[in-house]
Amino acid sequence: MVMTQYGIKYAVHIMTAHFGNLVAKVCETLLRKGPLTLRLLIRFTELTPSQVNNSLLILIQHNCVQAFTDVTEGEFGDAPKDDTLYLALFSNILHRMRFSKFVAIASQKLGQDKNCQELLEGLLQNGRLSMEQLVERAESSGRAGNHPISDVVHDSLFKLLNAHFVERCPAPEPTLSPKVEEPPPRKRGAKAAKISEVPETLEQRLIEAARPVEVLRFSMGDTNPEAEKSEHHSQISGQKRKHDDLEIAQDSGDADGPILWRANYDEFIRCLRHKACIEHVRSQFDDGVVNVLSAILEATRSSEKIVKTEITVPLSLDNIYEEVMKNEVGRSMTLDRVEASLAALGCPGMDDYKINLRRIIEQAQTDEVESIVLKRYGRDAYRMFRFLSKTGGLVETEKISDSSFVDKNEAPKILYRLWKDEYLYMEKVALTVPRHSLCLLWRVDRYNLWEHVLDEMYHASLNLQLRLAHEIEENKELLSLPKDNNNKPLVKKMHHFENVRNLLRSSLVKLDDALMLFHDF
Amino acid sequence: MRKSEGPSSLKRKRPDLGTKNSSGGALIGQEKVLYDLICSKQSMGICTFDMKRETKFAESVVTKSLKSLQTKGLIKIVQHYQNKGKKFYLSNDFEPAKELTGGNWYRDGELDKDYINTLKQVCARMIQRKKLMTIEGIVESFKQSGAFKVELSREQIEEIVNALVLDNQVMEVKSSGFGEFEFIPIGKICYKYCTQGGGLKGEPKTGAMASIPCGVCPRITYCTPNGIISPATCVYYTKWLDF
Ligand code: SF4
Repeated sequence: MVMTQYGIKYAVHIMTAHFGNLVAKVCETLLRKGPLTLRLLIRFTELTPSQVNNSLLILIQHNCVQAFTDVTEGEFGDAPKDDTLYLALFSNILHRMRFSKFVAIASQKLGQDKNCQELLEGLLQNGRLSMEQLVERAESSGRAGNHPISDVVHDSLFKLLNAHFVERCPAPEPTLSPKVEEPPPRKRGAKAAKISEVPETLEQRLIEAARPVEVLRFSMGDTNPEAEKSEHHSQISGQKRKHDDLEIAQDSGDADGPILWRANYDEFIRCLRHKACIEHVRSQFDDGVVNVLSAILEATRSSEKIVKTEITVPLSLDNIYEEVMKNEVGRSMTLDRVEASLAALGCPGMDDYKINLRRIIEQAQTDEVESIVLKRYGRDAYRMFRFLSKTGGLVETEKISDSSFVDKNEAPKILYRLWKDEYLYMEKVALTVPRHSLCLLWRVDRYNLWEHVLDEMYHASLNLQLRLAHEIEENKELLSLPKDNNNKPLVKKMHHFENVRNLLRSSLVKLDDALMLFHDF
Repeated sequence: MRKSEGPSSLKRKRPDLGTKNSSGGALIGQEKVLYDLICSKQSMGICTFDMKRETKFAESVVTKSLKSLQTKGLIKIVQHYQNKGKKFYLSNDFEPAKELTGGNWYRDGELDKDYINTLKQVCARMIQRKKLMTIEGIVESFKQSGAFKVELSREQIEEIVNALVLDNQVMEVKSSGFGEFEFIPIGKICYKYCTQGGGLKGEPKTGAMASIPCGVCPRITYCTPNGIISPATCVYYTKWLDF
């Protein structure tokens, strides 16, 4: 899904809140104009070179920008030119709003391991850290008990890597082939050996090209902090490499410096996607079906290569049953019930069972959109919209009102409102038989509508944030008051403010789930 | 739909009345021409404008003749459902067509919502009680219930069930032959009562967007961070946060 106008505004708001105006300005320029060279970036932002440079350093450090070498064919037989370009990573910017969700997932999956949690939090807050820096952080926080701190950090990192919650940082500046436009990209970088799908957008291609090979991506390598330290020092002088404008300590998995680690957003998004599938199924079926789906997702997780897995790998009934039995709630299920649950999940399988996750996600998206239609336009509109959604094609007004029991005098008005707000697509057809008249045909145009709804969601998220900031600003003085106050009206006011804040915050969290549903899943 | 008359809108009561009126006297002159014209339009009827155009009679003649035909009980007036001012004249032998009345479920030019809602409620309760039903089962239940004087056709009951599906009160599912579908042939469409939304009566779950002011805001396109309509000054928010 593309980034929309409000998507950009929302992203810029997040960046401003986290890193201030300068960084946000650089980021906004990159989001709006696409990948730029440093020279152009300076020109467009009208900032000083050092301001832009520093902003880029921060953006790269926090995984919001990726640099790459773009090779263009030389003109008139000249040698090919290579430029360093910077691309803003829109999704990663939005992920900043999800850090607490990521931490919750990791701590749930890793059995509430405090050390792991702390390490992960460190990475999320700082973007990228080396082993040495991780150890330093742990030392300053003074945890770890009797064990040597470096061992504890080492163990935690190992666990996080194993679970794929942390990864090696991507190559600082991969090279992209000259023909950016052409769909099947020719990979120059040897690191892109394993490609599970043909990436479509520049962003995806770039991420793919920069990513360390799978084996390296989640392996510790020799990250002995001592060895690393000496290696690091010996490398510092050699760090000014081919691009002067890239005076950035953005080294990562390559041999140029210490290995840098970062949180692997993909894995968290994958987990959240699974969770969303399960939640959606829970809203329709009983616990049995939920159990079976969870078991299948658990069993097929390791074979998922991409975040947006469409269909799970086939499993036999025995495999599924075995997996269901691992879970305490599942143990009460009979084989029959498992089979019935699979049928409810729409598994046509006889020997092999696969779940169409894409369909579940689409259904959840549809539910979200329909619920907006119901609230905003009423029940008649809801029925007509659902009718059109189910039918899929163009339908004339009369047929719609007949099938959805909406008064024929009302139906055109409601349909018109939906069309005006871009919730429906309309086509006019001039009829000559039986008499000259204009016939209106309506359709739900999923692709465009989804984009429109997503844009409204970004807008709404931004508004929630702004309102929250406004409420906090308005009630600043309440925050500084002591909690044990005898002034009754004041206490009441404090309570109210507390509730307002909680409501706005929880709404933001929920809305962000919906954003992911449309943008990331 | 008229509850007392059943669903058929094209019922022909007295097929061979011809040009005679009920008292046996033949119609004459312009009255006969007009009556024949009206009859020829069958269930679609005709409006005075078209009558004048087709017969070339003067307005006063048409008005007078129509009045007379009406007093003789030969014709009736039907209002068009979309254009209440527009009157159509029909022979008393015909029931007005769907194009005039709006269809089976219309009554005096308006969708008979009360009647439909009652039917929907009854139907939803049936499905809720049985948990899972086929369309045949529902038709049978309607028959047995005897709650309605008029017998509903299978098509009409299907329409009602489909409306419940569109309302998301009832779910359409295919029988798998397993579990709850044990006695239903595989692949057969069944209807199941939706229990989502925390068991609220058929209320679909409110999504994340629909639970905040902006999600249902009619002015979202005009709302900007520092504009006249802005989140900081928004009245919808103020109302929402006033608890
Ligand atoms: S902030 Fe208020 S005016 Fe703006 S979109 Fe939201 S509800 Fe509407």
